[in-house]
Amino acid sequence: MGLLTIFATTVAVTLLIHLVPGDPVQIMYAQSQGTTPEQLEAIRHSLGLDQPIVFQYLHFLGRLLHGDLGYTIRGHQAVLDVVLQRLPNTIALAVTALAIAVAIGLPMGFAAAYWQGSLLDAGLMILSIGGIAIPSFWLGLMLMLFFAVDLGWLPVSGTGPLNILLPAFTLGLSNAAIVARMTRSSMIDVMSQDFVRTAEAKGLPRSTILVHHVLRAGLVPVVTMLGLQFAFMMGGAVVVENIFAWNGVGRMAVDAIFQRDYPLIQGFILSFTVVVVFVSILLDTVYALIDPRIRRS
Amino acid sequence: MPSNASPTPDTAANSAANTSAPVRRIARRPFWLRVLGTVNGAIGGAIVFVLILSAALAGWIAPYPPAKMAVGGRFGLPQAAHPLGTDEFGRDLFSRIVFGSRLTLTIGAIAVGISLIAGLAVGLTAAYRRGWVETVLMRSSDVLFSFTETLIALACVAVLGPSLQNAMIAVGIAGIPFYARTCHSAALVEVSKPYFEASVAAGAGHARLVFVHLLPNVFPTMVVVATLGVSSAILAAAGLSFLGLGAQPPDPEWGLMLSGAAHYLNRAPWLMVVPGLSIAVTVLGFNLLGDAIRSAMDPRRQG
Repeated sequence: MGLLTIFATTVAVTLLIHLVPGDPVQIMYAQSQGTTPEQLEAIRHSLGLDQPIVFQYLHFLGRLLHGDLGYTIRGHQAVLDVVLQRLPNTIALAVTALAIAVAIGLPMGFAAAYWQGSLLDAGLMILSIGGIAIPSFWLGLMLMLFFAVDLGWLPVSGTGPLNILLPAFTLGLSNAAIVARMTRSSMIDVMSQDFVRTAEAKGLPRSTILVHHVLRAGLVPVVTMLGLQFAFMMGGAVVVENIFAWNGVGRMAVDAIFQRDYPLIQGFILSFTVVVVFVSILLDTVYALIDPRIRRS
Repeated sequence: MPSNASPTPDTAANSAANTSAPVRRIARRPFWLRVLGTVNGAIGGAIVFVLILSAALAGWIAPYPPAKMAVGGRFGLPQAAHPLGTDEFGRDLFSRIVFGSRLTLTIGAIAVGISLIAGLAVGLTAAYRRGWVETVLMRSSDVLFSFTETLIALACVAVLGPSLQNAMIAVGIAGIPFYARTCHSAALVEVSKPYFEASVAAGAGHARLVFVHLLPNVFPTMVVVATLGVSSAILAAAGLSFLGLGAQPPDPEWGLMLSGAAHYLNRAPWLMVVPGLSIAVTVLGFNLLGDAIRSAMDPRRQG
């Protein structure tokens, strides 16, 4: 599945430029002045756009295997270098945000499930319904206003170890609500299972049942959802990076779309997909570790 | 991302499967009463009703045209003439919010319309034709789904160019895989039911099987998905507009208004409160309404 996705991405990325209404070369260079028709033709040739599409695709694949993603339209830098320089920032942001989402959402969901039907449960669930509705870009601006502008505790924007806190909390809080809801329904499911009743009947202490039976079994669906959550974090990072001027691939992608820098856009889509696929494979492994039913099969 | 708020294809299909159970027949109250009679349904319905009202009557409600500059001073604080204050061009914020509801509802309707129609077409075709057609369609949906909606929407905007219309199309296209998957799993449940086999045995034609039997039976599931989908479409489109990839100035689009206000974070922080709150309340409204419709359709959830 992962390989199929990456394969589909390479095809999509090659086709992308041909779906552009009008002449992509002209659009790409519309912002640079004094480009003659001869120069445009030369550029078309250097991008391989004058070749048959199947040949273009094979050529693209060939270059890809050599780690060559072409050059950006603005500044003529190697796309791979530009992407690799920023990708770690985006991954750091997404991982930190995921950690925050889990650290907040998991205990919330667990508590809501344990005291199911109580006032606490109702309050937490109202909080999470509200949390899902709040746009991340608005939350980000509000956090910036409060912690950076009013209190002056954190830097407003930029890329650095302290700068990661605001964007990571923005992304993390937005998703903590979803993690909480998932955890709650998963735990409630497990708590009504026969093996939990058996454990209670055996007279095991409440804490043992919660940790060894409920938590462990209830975590399985939550962990499977984390791959998707990570993908959402990567997607959400596009918006959040732009609010906080975090120097990642999301900010790069939006600039590239404005500048019609198609090689860079291709690089973004490809790197984004590879990271998401890699993480989901990684999580499948973790999934097998906590779920013996899968490990043995 | 907001699409998390939607049900998974399987649970949505299950709830649709259960609507045809006999429990539905003994329900005394009409369907819309069961939806609006719950707390979620009442709040969600009220929010959506106010939105539609505001969009329909924007010309009467708003005291000023949305793009008219200098109707008050720049960065005016809320006052009697301008209940929400004025923005960086001296435009009346309240008028812009009211007119913005029109854009928001249009975005939601068109984006969901695209996802819904294409998703129904793909899902029904896959479930009805089976075989390699199903494999190809559903595999592609799975692959597209794993791209995430944000990436698909960004790629579409990259191809089409930034504009409000293209943002709606992009968000609509980005939603197709999810709608297709949900529709497919709901249709599969119907295809395996005895009435469907009986119809096939009775010699019903393709059109009859798909439009008279399958479509009406997957429709309840898709109504839930679409209602919840309006909120994620609105969120996604507002995000694109916020980035400058959707609505363009001087459109009174809420996401765009937020990005305008962000430039004056120090000077006029109150300008950010209302556009953001409007988006949040709208999304909340559609989420609550969608939840209420889902509960009303699911007999297991009824008290």
